[in-house]
Amino acid sequence: MTGTPAVEVRSVRMVYGSGPSATFALDDVGLTVEPGRFVALIGPSGCGKSTLLRLVAGLEQPERGDIRVHGVTPAEACAAKLIGLVPQSPALLPWMSVLRNVTLPQKVNRRAAARRARIAGLTGRQPPAAGPDMRELLRRAGLGDVARKLPGQLSGGMRQRVAIVRAFGLRPDVLVMDEPFSALDEFTRESLQDQLLDLWEESETTVLFVTHSVTEAVRLADTVVVMASGPGRIVEGIEVDLPRPRRGQLLGERRFHAYEDLIRDRLRRAWHHDAA
Amino acid sequence: MTATEGRAVPATGEEPPARRRRPGRRPSVPAWLRPAVWLPLVVMLAGLAALWQYGARRLPYLLPPLRDVGRSLLDNPGYYVHNALVTLGEAVAGLAMGFAAAFVLAVLTSEFPLVRRAVMPVATVLNVTPLVAVAPALVVAFGFGPLPKLVITGLICFFPILINTATGLRSVPREVLQVYRTVDASRVELLWHLRVPSALPFVFAALRIVFPLSVIGAVVAEMSASGSASGLGTAISVASSMNQLPVVYASILVLALMGVLLLSAVTVAERRALHWHDSTRD
Repeated sequence: MTGTPAVEVRSVRMVYGSGPSATFALDDVGLTVEPGRFVALIGPSGCGKSTLLRLVAGLEQPERGDIRVHGVTPAEACAAKLIGLVPQSPALLPWMSVLRNVTLPQKVNRRAAARRARIAGLTGRQPPAAGPDMRELLRRAGLGDVARKLPGQLSGGMRQRVAIVRAFGLRPDVLVMDEPFSALDEFTRESLQDQLLDLWEESETTVLFVTHSVTEAVRLADTVVVMASGPGRIVEGIEVDLPRPRRGQLLGERRFHAYEDLIRDRLRRAWHHDAA
Repeated sequence: MTATEGRAVPATGEEPPARRRRPGRRPSVPAWLRPAVWLPLVVMLAGLAALWQYGARRLPYLLPPLRDVGRSLLDNPGYYVHNALVTLGEAVAGLAMGFAAAFVLAVLTSEFPLVRRAVMPVATVLNVTPLVAVAPALVVAFGFGPLPKLVITGLICFFPILINTATGLRSVPREVLQVYRTVDASRVELLWHLRVPSALPFVFAALRIVFPLSVIGAVVAEMSASGSASGLGTAISVASSMNQLPVVYASILVLALMGVLLLSAVTVAERRALHWHDSTRD
């Protein structure tokens, strides 16, 4: 461990609106994520988990507090292409083939490579080598046959896979995912979770993953961060000490369910605390 | 695997079984060759022609017989072709000017709110002012040459293109923008890779509106410039002042055909450029 966390959030406050109608989307939120960790954010709607994600991705500015991605601000991290975003919808460009969709983010902002090398040098990491072979990456995600097709010709699950490949194609230091599987059916979701874990395990990327599925959180994450609403805050970070790969039998075992129960209990408690 | 495989399958109900074709293939007999498709139109046209002929017999000073209109066209095709080309040239050149100006302004208004606040009110006032009323003033200002015709045609095309393109440039979904903002794509990159392609369906919707409008603009301009030499609008003005009804209606027919031709050209171009878009899928 080099000492510089992949993501560091310090006493962040985020307010929407002003005056008496102002709502605290986040208040006094702190979070530290070491490089290479898979962190799931879970909580009821309105707890600010997506807001926290957007703050880390530099898409919004906090009212108060400080956010660092590998020691630099989110804006600098974006300028150096340290961050890969997978939004809730695939967000593909319908007029471009799958292959061009996944390569376009690499073609824009060409000066990012130099910035990225500099930031990596500051924190003593290796910047990634030349861009990956996107055809190969698509093939590994089971999309080799559809590389020339348009997004409109694919199923929902395939489109979301394309979005994940697009993010991994950047070789991001931090992968930021906002409920990427929530619109998919259960079978598709499970196979995409497997593929995501495969890609993650051979990259060395850090993942911040927002979800509202307890099972998904336990299956994917090293750490599950439980959040509560009103104001949005972090209740607890739960380390999931289960062996990987987490598939097949393990999902039916008692220790897996024990983690699910623990997280559900924490969510419920936070909920009652709010109601009281 | 995909939901779109069967997209091109036509309704096969009326086909003899021997002509069954594989699903997903283009039909070997185009749909419009089937009587159910063309017969209603033919009946409609025949009915209109009969009504016309009846009217022409009863009111010979208001309606020329169709035979006279046809003879005027066939006896003097060069006259109509020449005038049609003049009007078409004015319409297309004016449209091109209006398009260029509107597109550039649409980009500026969508990129800079300050420009939007300055331009939009003026453009709106321009749009609600009847151009037929403005045309004579423009002829006075720019003379009887081609310039006022281009200006009037350009003006009539300007607003629909501006509004549609500006809307289209802002139609990129939020999440797509977020993906490209996290890789810090520049404004020019966002414009070129995301905004302009996203605007294309809107631009084509505008073109469908302004291609017929451009012909209207050219004709209005010709009619306002009473001394202009050629063009179908001029031909109509001159012929009606000399009570040559067949020439008037022959010119109108040519104008209508020109409009249909232009609209078909837009449709073909749209199908090619927007093959990825939902609107071009049956």
